[in-house]
Amino acid sequence: MTTTATNELFQTEKEELISGSEAIALACALADVDVITAYPIRPYDTVMQYVSKLKADGSFDCDFIVAESEHSQFEIVKHASSVGARTFTGSSGVGWFYAFEAITVTAGLRLPVVAMVGNRALDDPGAFGVEHNDALAVRDLGWMLYWVATAQEALDIALLAWRVAEDPTVFLPFAVSCDGSFLTHSQAIVNVPTSEQVNKFLPPYDRGKLQLHPDNPITIAPQVNEDWLMEMRRQSDEAMHRSVGVIKKAYEEFKEIFGRGDPSPFVEEYMTEDADIIIVGMGTLALPVRVAVRRFQEAGRKIGFVRVKFFRPFPTEELQEILTKCKAVCVVDRDYSYGAPSYGGVLFTELRSALYPMEKRPLMLNFIAGLGGREVHVNDVNDMVDIVQKAIETGIIEQEATWIGVRDN
Amino acid sequence: MTTVQDLPQIKGVKNIPISEGYTSGHRTCQGCESALVMRLMIKAAGQRTIVVGSTGCMYVANTTYYSTPWVVPWMHTQLGSSGSAATGTAAGLASMMRKGKMHKEPINVIAFCGDGGGADMGLAAISAALQHDEYNLLILMYDNESYANTDIQASGSTPYGANTTFSPPGKETRIMNKRWKKNTAPMLAVGHPDVKFVATANGSYGLDFNNKIRRALTIGGPTFIHSIDPCPKGWDYDPKFSHELGMLIVETGLWVQYEIIEGELTLNGPSRAIARGIRKRKPVEEYLMRQGRFAHFTKEDIKIFQDRVDESWEKWWLPGVIPVTMGQD
Amino acid sequence: MSTVAVEVVYRGIFQRTLARNIVRSIVFAARKEGKIGTAFGRYGDSPERNGIPAKQFAVVADDAEELEEVLARYEPTEVDVTINVDDTMCKGIESWAWYGLQPINQLTKPNGTLIVTSRQDADSLVEDIHQKDTPFDLSIIKSTVSFSGLWVYKDDHTDARILGTLCNVCPQLFSIDSMLQALDEQGNGETKLASAQKAYDVATIRTVEPGEGNSEVPYKFELLGWQTMEEGLVIRAQGKGGGFRGGDEGFQPDRNEVFKKYSTRSMRPVINFETCIKCTLCWLQCPDTCFDITPDGLYDANMESCCGCGVCEAVCPVPDCVTMVSEADFNDNSSQWEAWQEDKPSYQQWMTALVDKQKAETRTHGFHHVGGYTEEIAASEDA
Repeated sequence: MTTTATNELFQTEKEELISGSEAIALACALADVDVITAYPIRPYDTVMQYVSKLKADGSFDCDFIVAESEHSQFEIVKHASSVGARTFTGSSGVGWFYAFEAITVTAGLRLPVVAMVGNRALDDPGAFGVEHNDALAVRDLGWMLYWVATAQEALDIALLAWRVAEDPTVFLPFAVSCDGSFLTHSQAIVNVPTSEQVNKFLPPYDRGKLQLHPDNPITIAPQVNEDWLMEMRRQSDEAMHRSVGVIKKAYEEFKEIFGRGDPSPFVEEYMTEDADIIIVGMGTLALPVRVAVRRFQEAGRKIGFVRVKFFRPFPTEELQEILTKCKAVCVVDRDYSYGAPSYGGVLFTELRSALYPMEKRPLMLNFIAGLGGREVHVNDVNDMVDIVQKAIETGIIEQEATWIGVRDN
Repeated sequence: MTTVQDLPQIKGVKNIPISEGYTSGHRTCQGCESALVMRLMIKAAGQRTIVVGSTGCMYVANTTYYSTPWVVPWMHTQLGSSGSAATGTAAGLASMMRKGKMHKEPINVIAFCGDGGGADMGLAAISAALQHDEYNLLILMYDNESYANTDIQASGSTPYGANTTFSPPGKETRIMNKRWKKNTAPMLAVGHPDVKFVATANGSYGLDFNNKIRRALTIGGPTFIHSIDPCPKGWDYDPKFSHELGMLIVETGLWVQYEIIEGELTLNGPSRAIARGIRKRKPVEEYLMRQGRFAHFTKEDIKIFQDRVDESWEKWWLPGVIPVTMGQD
Repeated sequence: MSTVAVEVVYRGIFQRTLARNIVRSIVFAARKEGKIGTAFGRYGDSPERNGIPAKQFAVVADDAEELEEVLARYEPTEVDVTINVDDTMCKGIESWAWYGLQPINQLTKPNGTLIVTSRQDADSLVEDIHQKDTPFDLSIIKSTVSFSGLWVYKDDHTDARILGTLCNVCPQLFSIDSMLQALDEQGNGETKLASAQKAYDVATIRTVEPGEGNSEVPYKFELLGWQTMEEGLVIRAQGKGGGFRGGDEGFQPDRNEVFKKYSTRSMRPVINFETCIKCTLCWLQCPDTCFDITPDGLYDANMESCCGCGVCEAVCPVPDCVTMVSEADFNDNSSQWEAWQEDKPSYQQWMTALVDKQKAETRTHGFHHVGGYTEEIAASEDA
């Protein structure tokens, strides 16, 4: 027995001037989420402030639970999800890490929890600015992982998240990554859809034969030995494989119902046609990079940009197709991975791995930039492109990974 | 708040329900008192119950893929998560029922944890769960006085001096575990005045155990039961003595059986008789010397134990329960 | 190339120290002859549970490379000697981590040896041991099965007797002199060395021919693959159960089909239905939900799920109404209540005989009180 409520707040489509956090809070209300758990940590927690206000004002009927730690936050929604409730939670930085045990088991249990990560640098030292290392830490666990770039996208992708995560052929949790400050605290014009549109797009969560309920007596997650675990891992692997098709289909429907969206749900291409150099990055980095790319193009230089939206499942085929057409790839990582191959960032390492089987491999250079919330300026992008250009011309890569915007004195 | 089930108090052992929610297929030790506690718990609660169990013996030994002893729906939760698991399960049900997404009916929610998962790691989450009085749930802590599943390591609930793999008596130090057992139930009762039911329990007193479970599930809001479970493996005794040791720990006054219903404390069974002076406490030596984990004890060690027990009955503000004495002025 | 593998099959926790003493001494003795070896417990048996069968191994080789060939596996595929330290496991064992019943001699090589500590005679043991296609030798050490607990070890020289016997039946391993030297260096006293020497001197074997023994096909379990397993780490719950033997009256809980636990049992309860006062305590206090409620309100201990803990005996208020007796005296798991129904006088006679026999034996399950083991050892020496 399932019904989706029509919320009076969302009778008509309207524009709002809101932050990414607020956009996701509205998505929660639109999706009629049942259980939400909160615990304070900057910058993600703005979303919970909006959720609690919506509830207090009677605009959103959910069980809003103020937990005593991030670990409990994630454990509570995990269990609510197991009995069939639609759930939402979130965290940032070391808070996300405090919840890590619960985050891990949520994926193992195949529970479609949707979480917002307000990307934040990891302590120590305490720092509030954006870095992607927090969310990236779940990349091996069976979480779908998406980086949004605008408040509008935050709202849209939150809706897509429940749709894909709760698909019975997927049943994997979904993390919506939002750059701290740039998305969580800056406001933009957002088109807020109607409940009717959302209900058309997002069916009720039906846990089916996996629902924990006296009418469906099951035992969930008994301990296993080596006789069984590999098969379970293989199932999750297959679910992640299946999510690709589910995402594509859902995104097509999304565009039809809401009338917006990119050609691909996985990557955003910007002026990549005939590009010699393609810059690759994630999240709000897109803004300065797009500006820089426009200026390059105006100056007659063939520089393009690809924004990786889904980090998991990783858009291997799309990126292989786009990036093998250019001479050099300039990967911008807003993260670090000390001691990684070539001392590169996480995105760089993954991308290089994705391109390895290709016959025509472009030159690849990596730039670590914008850590701890430091702004990435158009000038920084220019510096990166200069280094890449030099490599193309000389055929020599002097240094594969370069830190940009760091004081070297 | 959702309504609760009609689970009346059971009058006499012969009226204990015959239905089973926990049957064979578990791989616990012979004479495992905690397995009995699981069985009694679900007997009292009945089939319309969801059980969530945190890591420990009652996870690993009970449910080993591909078999389960559970008749009722059961789910694993992380070691320190019994409080959160109970809250999440109850919240999910409550929300969906309120919003018409699920058929409305009272479903019992029980989360259990061992002493490691409860009194050590899970204390904060249990405390938080006990503050959410909009959810009906029970947290049952089965206390076998060590991390028994991982091979008997000392927990905050391990008694003074007991031999564990983290507190072995050695050539230089005989007593490695110098901590006195954590007084968990009173700590939670005193710290959460809105909780309507906190009790201690013991599988050796089956009827009392059943009725405490029922009281916890029907009184409304979050509730907590601390059960003491003799562990034949970790305590080192012939498994057939599980029941007898469960009684001895009460009869020596080392463990006190009571329930706190809406702030009012009642001692039960032998503890009540001891408090009223009807029954004399047995010497703790009788209890200690029956277990291999205390086999290294000297007379002095036994005396330390006896003195602490005497003190708890003679000096504490609430004998055997709350370790506070009245100031002199 | 010469590698010798020995397994010790033992009751979890109760005989852990015993098994450990045996496998370690094997490696130490081998060192005396310049060989190399290793001793290990099967990881999957850990954490051990009281009474649930477990295994430890000792592997001895001429050199490190030979040893490595064997160590590439969790559990050796075959062993030269199987040592079973509780004869009731001759019926087969179900470990807590794996499914199916493993015959006690499953890993015993053709012409290998099975050493058993037992008071039973060879024919009676062979009746329990599953048939093999190849012959093997059975060597019995006449003694009461040795049980202790986790912390306090009952040193009744069972380890020494087994090691002495091992030297006799498996001379390619090492000489008795090397073993005595190893035992001595581990700090064992003269009397223990004498126990080993005596066991060596008196050891005998009896060859068990192919096809001889228990013809039961042991229960096997086929593992599912990832495409047939349910997703979400889910398995279906047990059924609710119903009337006794499917009828309308009494109650019989559903029992797990894939894990039985009864090979944990070294003793089982026998019940005097005629003196039972229906107090419910055996049923209520059983951690294994093993009592079926009969239509006449009696309690029938179901041997498919009883693991032999003895709590029912301990809680029963009626003398000799529930008595734990040796599992060795049984060849099946049939219902006692049904047997009693069929022929009450015969049942009473059979039951009384078993109870009397138990009173004469002193089979115990570990620690009773401080100093208890010393008393038990003294009593067995007197006997």
